Amino acid sequence: MVAFYNEMNTADGGVRPHYSEFAKWLQTAAPERLARKRAEADLTFHRVGITFAVYGEDAGKERLIPFDIVPRIIPADEWRDMSAGLRQRVKALNAFLHDIYHDQEIIAAGHIPAAQVLGNRQYRPEMQGVDVPGNIYAHIAGVDIVRAGEGEFYVLEDNLRVPSGVSYMIEDRKMMMRLFPELFSRHKVAPVLHYPDLLFDSLRTAAPDGVEDPTVVVLTPGAYNSAYFEHTYLAQQMGVELVEGRDLFVRDDTVWMRTTRGDERVDVIYRRIDDDYLDPLAFREDSMLGVPGLLSAYKAGRVTLANAIGTGVADDKSIYPYVPEMIRFYLGEEPILNNVPTYMCRKPDDLDYVLNHLGELVVKEVHGAGGYGMLVGPAASAGEIERFRERLIAEPDGYIAQPTLALSNCPTFVDAGIAPRHIDLRPFILSGEEVRMVPGGLTRVALREGSLVVNSSQGGGTKDTWVLEE
Amino acid sequence: MARYHVIHETRYDYGSSVSLSHQMLHLVPRTSQWQNCLDYRLDVTPAPVWRKLGTDAFGNPVEWFAFYEPHEALHIRSEMHIEVHPHRIDTLSDSIAWDALAGRLTYRSGGHPDIDDLAAKRYLFESPHVRIKHELADYADDCFTPGRPVLEATAALMEKIFTEFEFDPEATTDTTPVLEVLKNKRGVCQDFAHLMIACLRAKGLPARYMSGYLLTHPPAGQPRMVGADASHAWVAVYAPGSGDGWIEFDPTNNLLPDTQHITIAWGRDFSDVSPLRGVILGGGGHEPEVAVTVTPLDDATADTP
Repeated sequence: MVAFYNEMNTADGGVRPHYSEFAKWLQTAAPERLARKRAEADLTFHRVGITFAVYGEDAGKERLIPFDIVPRIIPADEWRDMSAGLRQRVKALNAFLHDIYHDQEIIAAGHIPAAQVLGNRQYRPEMQGVDVPGNIYAHIAGVDIVRAGEGEFYVLEDNLRVPSGVSYMIEDRKMMMRLFPELFSRHKVAPVLHYPDLLFDSLRTAAPDGVEDPTVVVLTPGAYNSAYFEHTYLAQQMGVELVEGRDLFVRDDTVWMRTTRGDERVDVIYRRIDDDYLDPLAFREDSMLGVPGLLSAYKAGRVTLANAIGTGVADDKSIYPYVPEMIRFYLGEEPILNNVPTYMCRKPDDLDYVLNHLGELVVKEVHGAGGYGMLVGPAASAGEIERFRERLIAEPDGYIAQPTLALSNCPTFVDAGIAPRHIDLRPFILSGEEVRMVPGGLTRVALREGSLVVNSSQGGGTKDTWVLEE
Repeated sequence: MARYHVIHETRYDYGSSVSLSHQMLHLVPRTSQWQNCLDYRLDVTPAPVWRKLGTDAFGNPVEWFAFYEPHEALHIRSEMHIEVHPHRIDTLSDSIAWDALAGRLTYRSGGHPDIDDLAAKRYLFESPHVRIKHELADYADDCFTPGRPVLEATAALMEKIFTEFEFDPEATTDTTPVLEVLKNKRGVCQDFAHLMIACLRAKGLPARYMSGYLLTHPPAGQPRMVGADASHAWVAVYAPGSGDGWIEFDPTNNLLPDTQHITIAWGRDFSDVSPLRGVILGGGGHEPEVAVTVTPLDDATADTP
């Protein structure tokens, strides 16, 4: 049995210093009160309408993401290192995107195989040679981090396309402050509620050159998208229009929005639609969600898309193993955050190893996201492992594998009382003239006992995340 | 050298009114070492409200235009005078060995790839219409014997496709997958080009999709080539050290293009260089009428075998 790191308790049963105040409070809190508060949280989230659609269930069925009342607390010094690592990583990823869409020096220098970039389905030749404002491609990045031990953090994956979840980070904080205001007078918790202001500011500074007072919009695929709540939420918090493709049109290489006040020019689009669906003239012809002519306007520098087109090539799981190399190549620095050792099944030796150790490994689809299509070896049945083995042999290029990490635990309020559950962390990193983030991020928790899958689409919940100020 | 007058007309009768239309065209010919456009004009009726000329990701000229007013038909007439210089190479046997080339293009950690090799790699991997499967490598196997010069092997592959496949416009559509073409052994120039490209890439060799026209009315005594009444498609394979580094093959006609193929654009496959691509709002069912006429301007075209 692996000994998992517990965020609150030490192995000998003591309490870690940054949790001591909370532990004292928890001891004096009556269990009935906690249960009542938990029910109140559910009710409030229902009323506010914070829901999440799960693909594969009944169409249109929405669900609450369970909220846990035990916060995940991160001490100031840990966050300092982590945030330096995130800054470094996102800078390198943006530099990589600029490079592969221009001179491709990292390929020419032999650090990354051309096949991994040019043969990648997320690589967009249309972006070759296109200059984007400030050379920023991933304005908004969500980087998933797990802890395996004391001071031992690993990046699981980078999300550079349309990372979601930030609305839960904000609402979880509001909920905690509402349920347990006394906790916030006993702790110096770094604020996160200003995230929409930082986002709005980053989007405005990303506007095309010469635009004084840019008009920003949030572009959503519509109410059937699993993250539609978040799209409406962020638009409302920033005080900008939420639009669908049909609300926008391109005239004379310029993007316009139909409004009740007449047509209004759009300068920055915070788009929550995948590349494939953005412009039926350039990408998928059957897309009803996009705006015909958008790519041409974008390439002409008449509108900014956040994130840029073609960022998926940098967060693909087949590119992930090369991120430490990117940091050395572009920044001349050693990576601060660890990468998880990764077996690339396209390599015969790696595939051999993976097929012989399926019971111990986590196997992921290279192009997958959201925890769909993955195998967690230690938790899988013999039948599941055999089915996955066939898929791997049929299409080895489509998979990578990683050792099962001993994800840390955090005390979590479950039906049986307070019990440890595995967690991860998704901080949101904003890149503009400078790299900015709110301290912490979204903590996701695997509510099933022993489960290592924290994705909300797979039944995960969330926690408020506290970075303590010194 | 050959000179041609080319007219490429496309007519859409929408049947009902179209209120908004965005179009992206690959109709302006590409200039190359062996091809020079003397004049070009594009007439569009009704007149577009907005138009722009630019270059796509593969260096091809591309023209965009848009209509914001209702219209019921669209007529596009592309007209050019163009000269094509001989560029066919005489011997295929002194080209680099295909397996040595494929090996050279394989990634080695820390190795510094040649700059031309790196540029060629854009045409080495899967693209929207070209999936690379082992069946394709298997199909090409007998042409690619160890150490064989790449152009000889490619010519053998071209001949194999030409011999074993039947030209049949009814057999496929724009989206028929390469593996289905391989199974049914029927198709048109676009299918044969995609198939040949997929085989070459499966062997580790970069290959381009070439889009353009053929002489429609050949000089007296010569047969009219297949695919001459519309846009034509053929293939170029990367062969550093031979010609300008890319050598063309026409699997539909089993020959190496020289002065009878007029190049409009090249890309990874058809999706990169589709002559007309548009998005319209409104309109009924509509199949465009397309007509291509290529006329030699003088008798200087009589340089074909």
